[in-house]
Amino acid sequence: MVTTAIAAVVMASGLGAFQAGEGISGSEIVVGMSGPFTGASRSLGIELYRGSLAYFTEINRRGGVNGRTISIKAYDDGYQPEAAVKNTIRLMLEDQVFTLFNYVGTPTVTRVLPLLKSYDGLRFRLFAAFTGSQPQREAPYDRVAINYRASNRQETEGLVSNFRGIGRTRVAVFYQADSYGRSGWAGVRSALASQNQKIVGEATYARGTAYTSSLRRQVAILQESKPDVVISIGAYEACAAFIRDARRAELNVPIANVSFVGSESMLELLKAEGAADGRDYTANLVTSQVVPSYEDVAIPVVKEYRELMAEHAATVTPPSLWARDYRPLARSFVSLEGFINAKLLVEVLKRLGPSPSRSQMAGAVASMQNLELGTGHSVSFAADRNQGSDAVFYATVEQGRFVALRDWKGWRK
Amino acid sequence: MKVAKLFQKTMFGIFLLFGLIAVSTSALCIWTVDAELSAEYEANSRAIAQSIANSSLDIILNRDLSTLQSLLDQFNEIQGIEYIYITDNQGDILAHTFVPGVPKEIATGERQLAMVERRLDGIGDFVEVASPILEGVVGSAHIGMVQGAVALKLQKAIGRQAYLISIIFIMSIIATHVLVSLVAKPMARLGVYARQLVAPDAPGGLTPGEVQALLERNDEVGQLARVVRHLAVRTAPEQS
Repeated sequence: MVTTAIAAVVMASGLGAFQAGEGISGSEIVVGMSGPFTGASRSLGIELYRGSLAYFTEINRRGGVNGRTISIKAYDDGYQPEAAVKNTIRLMLEDQVFTLFNYVGTPTVTRVLPLLKSYDGLRFRLFAAFTGSQPQREAPYDRVAINYRASNRQETEGLVSNFRGIGRTRVAVFYQADSYGRSGWAGVRSALASQNQKIVGEATYARGTAYTSSLRRQVAILQESKPDVVISIGAYEACAAFIRDARRAELNVPIANVSFVGSESMLELLKAEGAADGRDYTANLVTSQVVPSYEDVAIPVVKEYRELMAEHAATVTPPSLWARDYRPLARSFVSLEGFINAKLLVEVLKRLGPSPSRSQMAGAVASMQNLELGTGHSVSFAADRNQGSDAVFYATVEQGRFVALRDWKGWRK
Repeated sequence: MKVAKLFQKTMFGIFLLFGLIAVSTSALCIWTVDAELSAEYEANSRAIAQSIANSSLDIILNRDLSTLQSLLDQFNEIQGIEYIYITDNQGDILAHTFVPGVPKEIATGERQLAMVERRLDGIGDFVEVASPILEGVVGSAHIGMVQGAVALKLQKAIGRQAYLISIIFIMSIIATHVLVSLVAKPMARLGVYARQLVAPDAPGGLTPGEVQALLERNDEVGQLARVVRHLAVRTAPEQS
């Protein structure tokens, strides 16, 4: 309805025929975000937003980029593709933002990509989406997307490889029944196929499954396959519920999650459940991450992130986007990724100079070679490479918090 | 009393007639709708399977499986489709919409391109249709349609029809009652008038005004009243 109305206005005004505004005024650059600020995955959208805003707030305090402050125009899509599409049309045609930024999720992004292609003439780019799926990394959409993070495929290949190194070769997969889950599933399948192996068991859940749901049926399906390890491709509420039910059913093999899960939110749920049950649900957990551990203050970007998140904590928590009952996380992998995404965007804006335009954006990004953002891993783009980082990090839970995982031998079979 | 009997017979006749109409039209409706819907259902299922197969070809050959899954998720929103899965040419499932997992009957079962009926434990009964992708060289697309969907639509259609017939039946009863009363009342008066002519002193007779009104009617009842009076007048002198 909204989409149709907006499209009608655009057609009537003739905006569709020529380039819309660039989302830039003399004093401000507006970027547009669509993400889950409500629902079972809300922590992902909120924390990504907060991390980015912490950095933008600091940049704005210092005078902005070429005299312009940066702000985020954000809309809630509840992790639903249709809503993401409507939000995108609104951001492009009504708000006329400079770029689309920090989008969350594979099912949403895969539906938005054709839209960007349809409005190719407006030169919008999807910058630093919080998803590791392949479509925005491959033709024909590689031209409209600019990615910071490593892909799901790289994360799952890393997990399979590391578990294989310690003798855990019977890999089962628990995944979200949509394009995100399929992307991770395909990554695991591909990594195993290269070793002439197959996934030994698989179970799915519906997107939006809440922590209160029972996932015992999924656990039972995977138990039958007698796995050495379970790799989960999901969001934090469902993945936490799966871990809870798996441990209760004595499925005690390592359970690994990928970065999209929202690790801290998952951990909080498991810790609360453990406190109520008198048992530890956080043992034998591994996560792959695309940013370093936020506990490792020796890493420059982590130190900067921690300082700015603390300094701008009040600023980066505008409650209008989400329900007041949400308790923001002091630090998280997701907000650190949002922080790094913001750093990367600021670097692009600097390279665009005093008169930035969307059409110059791809060139500015491609010019970034061996860029140091303080993560310990350089970021490089090229005309045929639209993903800046290949770095994958691993973490596990010790004493109720995530710490960097460097030695896998503890889980040797 | 005679009027009531007449009325009862008419009502019984109407009831029988409506029963016959209801049963015959329902049977015709069930047969027609079932045949039409089943044919349409099957044709649609095949068309959807074909469409998925055609759309999948390029994705399977050139794109990531998450794109394929995204395609299935969109088709899965169509009413009546319960599940979709796509296999490669080895029969391995590349993408599907099952939650919490691929049923054993499908995971281990033989892949068939012909329409098959499936009973999946804990899920339900389905009609599965399939379409080969590039003549089966690349794989095949399978969709499961809810088997009870046609029956459910039939139930709804029959229910609505029964509701409509019931309303018409009640309205007809009321209308018939009114119409029969219109006929029966003058007939009853005619009967009273005839008895009055035979036994003028018997109680319950008509008033002169009512007799006048009866005799002045233009319809058959008025004609009969006049004939009765004529006969009474003709036979009266002979008796005296």
